[in-house]
Amino acid sequence: MKKILCTSLIIVMMLTGCSLKQDADSLYNTETPLDADIMIPESIKINEKEEIKVILTQGGHRVKDADFVHVEIWKQDGSVSYRMEEAMNNGDGVYILRKELDSEGLYYAKLHAGNDGSVIVPQKQFIVGELSSSEIDALKEDLPKQNANQEPHH
Amino acid sequence: MKQVKEEFITTKKEEQTEKRAKVSLHQTIWRWHFYAGIIFAPFLIILAVTGAIYLFKPQIEQVLYQEYYEITPQSEKIPPEEQIDQVEEQYPDAVITSYRPGEDAARSSEVTLTSNNESLTVFINPYTGQSMGTLNSKDRIMDKIEELHGELMAGTTGDRIVELAACWAIVLIITGLFLWFPKKKGIAGVIVPRFTKRKRILRRDLHAVPAFWITLGMFFLIMTGLPWSGLWGTNFQNMATNTGEGYPPSIWTGSPPTSEVQTKDIAEVPWAAETLDVPQSDVQGLTSLSINEVVGIAEGQNIHPSYTVMLPSEPDGVFTLSAFPPKAQDEATIHIDQYSGAILADYRYDNYGIIGKIVAWGITLHKGTQFGALNQFISLLICFGIILVAVSGLYLWWKRKPKQGLGAPKAPRLKNAKYFLILFIALGCLFPLVGLSLFVVWLIDWLIIQRIESVKNFLNA
Repeated sequence: MKKILCTSLIIVMMLTGCSLKQDADSLYNTETPLDADIMIPESIKINEKEEIKVILTQGGHRVKDADFVHVEIWKQDGSVSYRMEEAMNNGDGVYILRKELDSEGLYYAKLHAGNDGSVIVPQKQFIVGELSSSEIDALKEDLPKQNANQEPHH
Repeated sequence: MKQVKEEFITTKKEEQTEKRAKVSLHQTIWRWHFYAGIIFAPFLIILAVTGAIYLFKPQIEQVLYQEYYEITPQSEKIPPEEQIDQVEEQYPDAVITSYRPGEDAARSSEVTLTSNNESLTVFINPYTGQSMGTLNSKDRIMDKIEELHGELMAGTTGDRIVELAACWAIVLIITGLFLWFPKKKGIAGVIVPRFTKRKRILRRDLHAVPAFWITLGMFFLIMTGLPWSGLWGTNFQNMATNTGEGYPPSIWTGSPPTSEVQTKDIAEVPWAAETLDVPQSDVQGLTSLSINEVVGIAEGQNIHPSYTVMLPSEPDGVFTLSAFPPKAQDEATIHIDQYSGAILADYRYDNYGIIGKIVAWGITLHKGTQFGALNQFISLLICFGIILVAVSGLYLWWKRKPKQGLGAPKAPRLKNAKYFLILFIALGCLFPLVGLSLFVVWLIDWLIIQRIESVKNFLNA
């Protein structure tokens, strides 16, 4: 009986086997991706200088001198599209773009940032003033978020 | 004088015991080869037949689905997003799961989606955006063949049976080699069959000789197939990955990285018409990358053009670019943050550990893609060989089988076959399913066979 128990125990142990280590990925090719925290004021009024602030980190450290930090802004309905602009380096990994927008509606701001081999292109949706009903419909349908005339970058 | 005589008697006794032990070992091995063969030959035949067909999957699908695959190249392709929009119009309730741009200018793109629990692939002409047709995965003949080959169309149970058959095939190879091992000099009956001897000998040779010839190939197919299996394979892959020498995580076992984002930072989609039914602050936030951007990123990564983009299904999921082309060296798995587009992990063949590289080569060789037609031809020969050996083995038994009973070689006492026992325990440890099945056989033997006379006689136990 003892023998049977022992054998069963060994077999059960072998059948359950071993599981994957949580940090197994650190044993292979690892990347240190850029991470951006894009801060856009919660309510934006037209014809007022607003500040878009970006904090860049990479591998847990602030990126003090990124290869490039550009911001591109356009309106959802395609009526307004600003050229890509370089954000000002404010020190300690903080980059700022001041912008005055002159019409109400649904907007997008896209960051193009690169440092040390990592490139990121996060995009934020934001509202200036009030939304029109067609913009609400567009939001509802989750329609084109993409800038129609996107320029190639670098 | 007396002493000499006694010594003589002892040596003779020793010789006899040695001879008996040899006969008994031979019999034990034959007995295991016999039972394992009878039980697993049908499975090995199924595996060989389905494998032989699956080898030619690329050619077969090229013919079957030509109308879905081939397009006339034009000057400009329309963006992937618009192609997917077309598919969404066609299947409004579906969830799009992946997009495959197509490896060359004359190949359609593919959009895969899940609709009513079924997986569909819509083929799109990327120059016109028009749908060329839809294939349901469950209607794909090669998928059926693969299911039969991998799990006998019986899910996890089938997977375990296939794994068991594969492991026991190794036992068959080892015991078979022992039985084949030439006792006299010469090549007759060893590497060439004896056609001029009695029929009984020819039947034996037609099993043993081709079996010897395909041993290496068969062993190779088993060992390269096992990493796929659900139990042995998963454990093996986990162990390899944990040592840093296997596949990087997420390629075979383990989950991909996640997009680093807090739920409150993601832009919400309002659902009620005409009014903004969610707070304005919830609408403001990060939006997912478009498929156009992801394909754009992919194009800058020097990835094999046959790649597929897997779309995230969770708010913190990632876009995964996955390429598993015919040659192992071209493999790539790249995980992209859903919101920032950052490359979170980039695993190429060169980033695999040594075990991972060997397994990757094993897989492409097993599938017959690594060396193209030559690879397929050699693998096909091995498949035919396996079928021949399995059938001739069964035939050998059928012809030898007495009217009553199974005709199994007599069972010697277990303790007379010490080395054999050690070998089996070792195999049982290496392949737990073999160990488990041995244990079950032993239990059945102890609880039933040895206690019921008629069963015992039938099985010659």
